[in-house]
Amino acid sequence: MTLSGWEAVFCWVFSIAAILAGLLTVMARNAVHSALFLISTLLSVAALFILLGAEFIAGVQILVYVGGVMVLFLFVIMLVNVGAEERGATNIFNNSRQVGAGLIFCFLLVFGLLYAVGAGWQGLEERDKRKGVEAIAEQRLAQQQELATAATGTSKITTATERVGGSLYRYASLPFEIASVLLLVAIIGSVMLARTLKQEAAVDDVPREVLKEETQHEPELAEVVENEREVPPEKKK
Amino acid sequence: MTNVFAPALSFLLQESGGGRLSLAWDKVQHPDLAKFLVIGALLFIIGVAGVLTRRNIIVIFMSVELILNAANLNFIAFSRYLQDTGNPNALAGQVFTVFIIVVAAAEAAIGLGIVIALYRNKETIWMDEIDLLKW
Repeated sequence: MTLSGWEAVFCWVFSIAAILAGLLTVMARNAVHSALFLISTLLSVAALFILLGAEFIAGVQILVYVGGVMVLFLFVIMLVNVGAEERGATNIFNNSRQVGAGLIFCFLLVFGLLYAVGAGWQGLEERDKRKGVEAIAEQRLAQQQELATAATGTSKITTATERVGGSLYRYASLPFEIASVLLLVAIIGSVMLARTLKQEAAVDDVPREVLKEETQHEPELAEVVENEREVPPEKKK
Repeated sequence: MTNVFAPALSFLLQESGGGRLSLAWDKVQHPDLAKFLVIGALLFIIGVAGVLTRRNIIVIFMSVELILNAANLNFIAFSRYLQDTGNPNALAGQVFTVFIIVVAAAEAAIGLGIVIALYRNKETIWMDEIDLLKW
């Protein structure tokens, strides 16, 4: 697998963009800026997915991550108060000893991962040579030339997306169902977690003593509690 | 017009006779599987650095998303590599990536729910001030 021509140029442009935006995500002082840089990282990675021939995954990445998850992040950033951070009044990083230890760990990780990729790649190349993979690759290239040309006239229409969809419902159908249950759990869990005390009191989900204590701080809660006291007799009927 | 960019892009472009510039295909490093793995590793390490060093819990969640994306990039690169080497089951990498994206979405929803609940109770989003379980 080797990208060539304009694909190679775009690959380098997008990978440099992804890494730079990733660095800025971690280093930006304002959390909103972090989120925007993360969006540009995700878009660059989506472009890399397209270059690697995974158009469906690139679309899912943009729809789910950029359209869904990042909007959620931006909403939460706007719900919590980050004013001190923006004005430069507080430190955005942990104390220096923690940062030092973290960065030393990251440098070790850089060397470890680069060594592992290099060593693994050498082994992979040797194995490919033994198996005569290049001949297979040329054969595949010839097969791709026979595919129908897309509307742009430069690329070929492949059936990769169709096959991804097929495998999602065939051999990956059990994980697919489990994923849907996981999403249901996530929906219910986040709704439960994000309730206010008032909402919790309204459905009688708070212990009496806690409620009594909280009512002294928040007079508004008393109304809810009184409404709640009127409810039980009706329930008995 | 192309001459304006020639100095900066000299590593990409070369004279191809007649004063016209064309891309220097031979000079451009052609990305293969190893290059994509290195890019994925760098994104992963940036994410790890963010998780270890930042104080803002929301930025830590974003760094976790970076880590998951690095894993996705590796999966897709290997999927392409296996496709090109004629593996019949090569698209498993793309299917797995769909599930990683699902898990990332669920994780973000739950995590941000926890952040909001925590902010209501403790009035802080700094990781070093959230130490209820420390003794």
